[in-house]
Amino acid sequence: MSELSLRQVSKSFGTLKVIKDVDLEIEQGAFTVFVGPSGCGKSTLLRMIAGLEDITSGDLEIGGARMNDTDPSKRGIAMVFQSYALYPHMSVRQNMGFALRFAGVPKAQIDRQVMDAARILELEPLLERKPGQLSGGQRQRVAIGRAIVRHPKVFLFDEPLSNLDAELRVHMRIEIAKLHKRLGATVIYVTHDQVEAMTLADKIVVLRAGRIEQTGTPLELYTDPDNQFVAGFIGSPKMNFLPARVAGGGDGQGGPAVTLEDFGVTVPVTGLKNLPAPGTRITVGIRPEKFNEQGDQGLSVAIEMVEHLGSETLVHGRGSGDLITVKYPGISAIDDGRLDARFNAGDLLYFTEGGERIR
Amino acid sequence: MDLYFQRLRGGLVYLFLITAAFLSIFPFLWMVLGATNTSADISRGKFGLGGALFDNIVSFLAFADVPLILWNSLKIALLTTLFTLAVASIAGYGFEIFRSRLRDRLYRVLLLTLMIPFAALMIPLFIMMGKLHLINTHWAVILPSIGSAFIIFYFRQSTKAFPLELRDAARVDGLKEWQIFLLIYVPVMRSTYAAAFVIVFMTAWNNYLWPLIVLQSNDTKTITLVVSSIASAYYPDYGAVMVSAILATLPTLIVFFLMQRQFVQGMLGSVK
Ligand SMILES: Nc1ncnc2c1ncn2[C@@H]1O[C@H](COP(=O)(O)OP(=O)(O)OP(=O)(O)O)[C@@H](O)[C@H]1O
Ligand SMILES: [Mg+2]
Repeated sequence: MSELSLRQVSKSFGTLKVIKDVDLEIEQGAFTVFVGPSGCGKSTLLRMIAGLEDITSGDLEIGGARMNDTDPSKRGIAMVFQSYALYPHMSVRQNMGFALRFAGVPKAQIDRQVMDAARILELEPLLERKPGQLSGGQRQRVAIGRAIVRHPKVFLFDEPLSNLDAELRVHMRIEIAKLHKRLGATVIYVTHDQVEAMTLADKIVVLRAGRIEQTGTPLELYTDPDNQFVAGFIGSPKMNFLPARVAGGGDGQGGPAVTLEDFGVTVPVTGLKNLPAPGTRITVGIRPEKFNEQGDQGLSVAIEMVEHLGSETLVHGRGSGDLITVKYPGISAIDDGRLDARFNAGDLLYFTEGGERIR
Repeated sequence: MDLYFQRLRGGLVYLFLITAAFLSIFPFLWMVLGATNTSADISRGKFGLGGALFDNIVSFLAFADVPLILWNSLKIALLTTLFTLAVASIAGYGFEIFRSRLRDRLYRVLLLTLMIPFAALMIPLFIMMGKLHLINTHWAVILPSIGSAFIIFYFRQSTKAFPLELRDAARVDGLKEWQIFLLIYVPVMRSTYAAAFVIVFMTAWNNYLWPLIVLQSNDTKTITLVVSSIASAYYPDYGAVMVSAILATLPTLIVFFLMQRQFVQGMLGSVK
């Protein structure tokens, strides 16, 4: 069943349209992540769901009821903010119970719910402290606790981990994943950290300039992106994009092929129904990690820089055009000069000049 | 060599601070010592403890109904402060938080009023108060100072440090706008309030010109008016002047020392 749905939802600030006709269904219990570059409208969309921003047009339903004009506190949502937004003058206990107090919940029940949430998040020893006396990670947990206490239908997170240091971020990421499993709650989570998106999400929604570019599981987006933007956005290091031209029916065997212009290499194409007419300019994408020594094709790359990370080796170099990145697992002896970067023709993705995927 | 210069610099800094401190404390000291001397001794410039404190107090008490005068001053200062803080903080918060087309234009007009000297407002204000039948009442002193553009400005500036996400969190928690203001904004900004309290209270307590104009009968007068009327008598009793001056200074001192910490914090910004 769909817990939350957006239909043709738009948002304008004055004349500036920042959310454009968004359609989205979110299933109950799903962990949905909004990703996209800065300024694409992730926070705005989340705040519209929360009721903190008006919806200019379209419909928002939560739990089957239209919620466009409902007060934020009555939408069955709880939100965790990037800056935590804990009330600095209240103790952890008061912070967590505050919403319930305003909803008129009896005191005994508030206490019970606060204690339950505190137990789940191991906050019991901190209940009487003020937010100012907590570490970043603890504040984060209190902010999550404040959301849990309300038993919302939908949890909204806006970049909740971006103020934490790298180590704590990994730790809290795992905590949030566990919590989601344990509570079975519906979560919408905004981030621009890909690793967070890939590891946490059941479903990723990629946004660009107020529009949904693609929706899918992390692996769908990784293996089968709809367009060049999603292909470039998901995956790290970024996918390499090479200018190419559909070859004139000839790699000698007469099958379809494309010529990678920066390398002067022509590669056979298999399994594409919609390859444009010969001579058309297209873009070919290949992920850095798809290069391997056994590949059936090769690019001759002039090495410009090698990064030895221990677990992997990144080689940056170029043919006659832009820099490309080749990633090999483990430690590699590659250092200087030229590299014969081998890959399988089947691992290439093809995009029109407009960035649409050619399948 | 470096060490030598460092010491020299340190020494100079101390010398400067000591001089500055002495210059600020000297009038105060003079006032306190003067209160213990006879008028004649003070006129001669005697600098030292005398034995006339009691006489001075007596002649000061004879000059005016001191408890009433103090009460008048306190009442006016406290009410002015209370109303000013309420109005200015709501206005400053509103100006900073809520967007509207007219906001910035309105704000500019408000700031422009800071440039109008009080002398230019005195007569129209007096006429206004006359029409309202408020002359010779304390409201005539309190009302004109409530809408203080400067304090509104101060609150708006301080509100820039108020985290907007707190407002969002409170809205999600079910608070209405006025509850957000009272239950979140006010407590979070309390050092801003404390600093504003000190400023407004001191200004109101020390206010002289306007009360002089609108407070006409002896039973409505404030301490500053009494100090000046003793001092401007034909044969001023300087001993009594000093005693009254001490009384006029004390409350602001007390307020400042009580709120010193919050005052400094408020000046640095409420929210860290
Ligand atoms: N109150 C506002 N008034 C006008 N424009 C706004 C307002 N809030 C956001 N915008 C604009 O809407 C667009 C989307 O902003 P939003 O904050 O949703 O981006 P985001 O995807 O969350 O970015 P980030 O990753 O940096 O947080 C931006 O171009 C922003 O400038
Ligand atoms: Mg954002």
